[in-house]
Amino acid sequence: MLQPDMFQLMTAGDVSVRGCHEESPTGASEKQQKRRQSESEEGNPFSFSPQRLHLHRDHELFEDGDILRHMYLQDLYILEAEDKPTLSVSEFACHISGCSSVFSTLEEYEHHYNSLHRHVCCSCRRSLPNARLLDIHIQEWHDSLFTILAQRQDMYQCLVEGCGQKFRTTQHRKDHLIRIHKYPPDFRFDKTKKDKRTRETKTQQQKDAAMEVVDDVCESEGVCDVMCNVLSDQPEHEESMETHASEEEAARLAKSTEDLPAAAQGSDSTSSAPAKAQYSYRVPPAVCFGHGSVRGFRGRRGRRK
Amino acid sequence: MWRLNKVRYKAGRQGDSLEELRLKRREHERTLRQARRDRQLVSKRLLLNEDEEQQDITMDTTPGEQDVVSLVHKLQHSGPEKEANLKALSKALRDPSAQLTFVKLENSVHLLVGLLTSSNAQCRLQAVQCLHELSHSPHKNVAPACLPATSYLLTYLSGPSTKFSELCLYTLGNICPDSDAVKEKLLAQGIIPALATCMENQRHNLAVVEAVGFTLSQLLQTKDAAVKIIPMVLASTLPSNLLSVLTPDPKFGLAPAIECAWCLHYLTSSSKDNRELLCRGALVQCSSLLVSLGRAVAEGNKDEGLELLVCPVLRCVGNLLFSCPVEGLSTQVGDVHLVVALCGLVQAYLHTQPALAREAAWVLNNLTAHSSQFCSALLTLNLVPGLIQLLRFSQGINTMILRILANIAHKKQEFCIQLTQLGLLSVLCATLKMVDQEMVTLSLDVLFMLVVSSPQVAAEFVNQGGLSLLEAIQYNGEGDRRRRATYLLEQHLLSYRL
Repeated sequence: MLQPDMFQLMTAGDVSVRGCHEESPTGASEKQQKRRQSESEEGNPFSFSPQRLHLHRDHELFEDGDILRHMYLQDLYILEAEDKPTLSVSEFACHISGCSSVFSTLEEYEHHYNSLHRHVCCSCRRSLPNARLLDIHIQEWHDSLFTILAQRQDMYQCLVEGCGQKFRTTQHRKDHLIRIHKYPPDFRFDKTKKDKRTRETKTQQQKDAAMEVVDDVCESEGVCDVMCNVLSDQPEHEESMETHASEEEAARLAKSTEDLPAAAQGSDSTSSAPAKAQYSYRVPPAVCFGHGSVRGFRGRRGRRK
Repeated sequence: MWRLNKVRYKAGRQGDSLEELRLKRREHERTLRQARRDRQLVSKRLLLNEDEEQQDITMDTTPGEQDVVSLVHKLQHSGPEKEANLKALSKALRDPSAQLTFVKLENSVHLLVGLLTSSNAQCRLQAVQCLHELSHSPHKNVAPACLPATSYLLTYLSGPSTKFSELCLYTLGNICPDSDAVKEKLLAQGIIPALATCMENQRHNLAVVEAVGFTLSQLLQTKDAAVKIIPMVLASTLPSNLLSVLTPDPKFGLAPAIECAWCLHYLTSSSKDNRELLCRGALVQCSSLLVSLGRAVAEGNKDEGLELLVCPVLRCVGNLLFSCPVEGLSTQVGDVHLVVALCGLVQAYLHTQPALAREAAWVLNNLTAHSSQFCSALLTLNLVPGLIQLLRFSQGINTMILRILANIAHKKQEFCIQLTQLGLLSVLCATLKMVDQEMVTLSLDVLFMLVVSSPQVAAEFVNQGGLSLLEAIQYNGEGDRRRRATYLLEQHLLSYRL
């Protein structure tokens, strides 16, 4: 049933329409011409032009209607069909390369995207829960200037926003987070490169293995585009904030912060490390390189809801 | 007002539960779909006698092949009970295996042909009834056996008896798709001119018109129809007569209009050049009918079977629009009532017959592609918000609707601004994330047109977080989509980037 105003429109007499009656596809107002001009600029990939479509009688678009017709001819037509054909709503697909997730609602899509793809470090493809932590991560992991300065002064920021304190080592920062900000001691703090060997023996932290992953990736030559696959399904390579094996973790971790180890990086970044690297694609090409994002990541892949 | 007077439903055997019926129906539908995909979709029609119409068609009992043999025997040796025997024979021939038996009997068909020309009117009627039963046979070999009778059937087409003419017509219609040989023979025997004459003479007799329509539609669906049949049809009086019957008669119902509309659909969809039909006023007629149908549907008209007519008429309008010169558009389709009707049909059928809604959207695309007038009408009559709502639905509906919106945007900047004011930008931010790649590309196309139309639109898009969306496509998309996103970001949104 239509809205009342539509019904009115249909039964009304002549409906006069104000406006241009020009119908020729070639005629154009000045403004139209201007746009056409820009469209014919070199390199313009936009090629849409209105088109009338002729559908041949065998076209698949006509299938349902044809079936209806023949059901009627064969006396199989039911006036009120019991099985109503279902109208389907379009699904949403994550377009990040390598991520093949599909969602039935926009909300699910947004949640997925925000959890896994928004704050991604281009160098190591880690996904961070927010922009600030991404900044800190990049600074501590991929900025050689930071590494140099950290040898002489307190550089490791407290992860809690607004605190402002800085520490000499990640351990100090961790202690601060536990003592002052009441972080659970068994919270998944990451290890620094230096600490790696001493902590290897501790079995309670399954996440130690993540260090290797870090190294691998940081030295990897991955291209920026492959993001999601690499990060989404990593149950065995947990680092506190950086990889999300599941979305509930993502939700939990969104509140907390991480202990970010510094990694000596070597040649890959300059002092002008990207300031706003929220999205991988914002990182200048100089910092991202190669292919190899897949190296070191062994985890579930595929569709997730 | 418009009814489908006779809609028979093969209820199946008695004792079938509702669930069994449903299963059977679904099975039938599956078979039909497969047949269509194999380009083998053919149907036959069975004309029932009045006393049969309330009953089930399929009969439980098989009269037995012996009956057929003995009846034929009796008929061959004349006798006073010819009529009764013939009637019994026609009933017996309802059964498929009896049909097979019959045609295998020597001279059986010739017997019938002889009776077709009998001086006894009842005998003639019963004889043609027998042939009709044979023509409806599911066995491939049976219907061609009726060939010897066809020249007679053709001559009887315009006879005085409605029932007789109907039976002749449906018999011919049933057998012509069965084999190429049959079809060739019928063409050679002049079936097209015969149909044209019949239609011309019997225009007032809607039952016959319906039968002619059916038979013609069977011919038009055959494989080489575009080459062998359509030119002849177009050259005859058939198109004009088909058009004149299009508007359904309130008393008789929808059936004749349905048949004629399907004929017109086969005519318009087999070739891209429909100037011949346009000259005969086909688009004028069909679009005005579509407006009436749209009105009926909008009124909540629950007329049974209306979609059986809406479907072919929609298709005719859609394909005729393709051939219609743009300058003459408004003289052909009238004013904007058609636009309203089409939007109404899309909404009305969206949930019950999504395919029909999609076809209506297709017609709307063809209407708006090269016409500022109709694009403007969509805006002025406030039909665009309703269209935007439809962008959520898949199965080809959203892509078609987006094309329509793109048609509007393409016309002028002012339309772009209006579209933006109606909230199209935020919806595009959603459609850019859809699974269907064609949707994504089209969305980018529309976005481009909107963004270049004015700086305000560009700013609005950026406010809605559009930049990161485009960047995601730029870095992760493929080919067409990546190029479009890149171009948009670098050429038109550069100043908005951080």
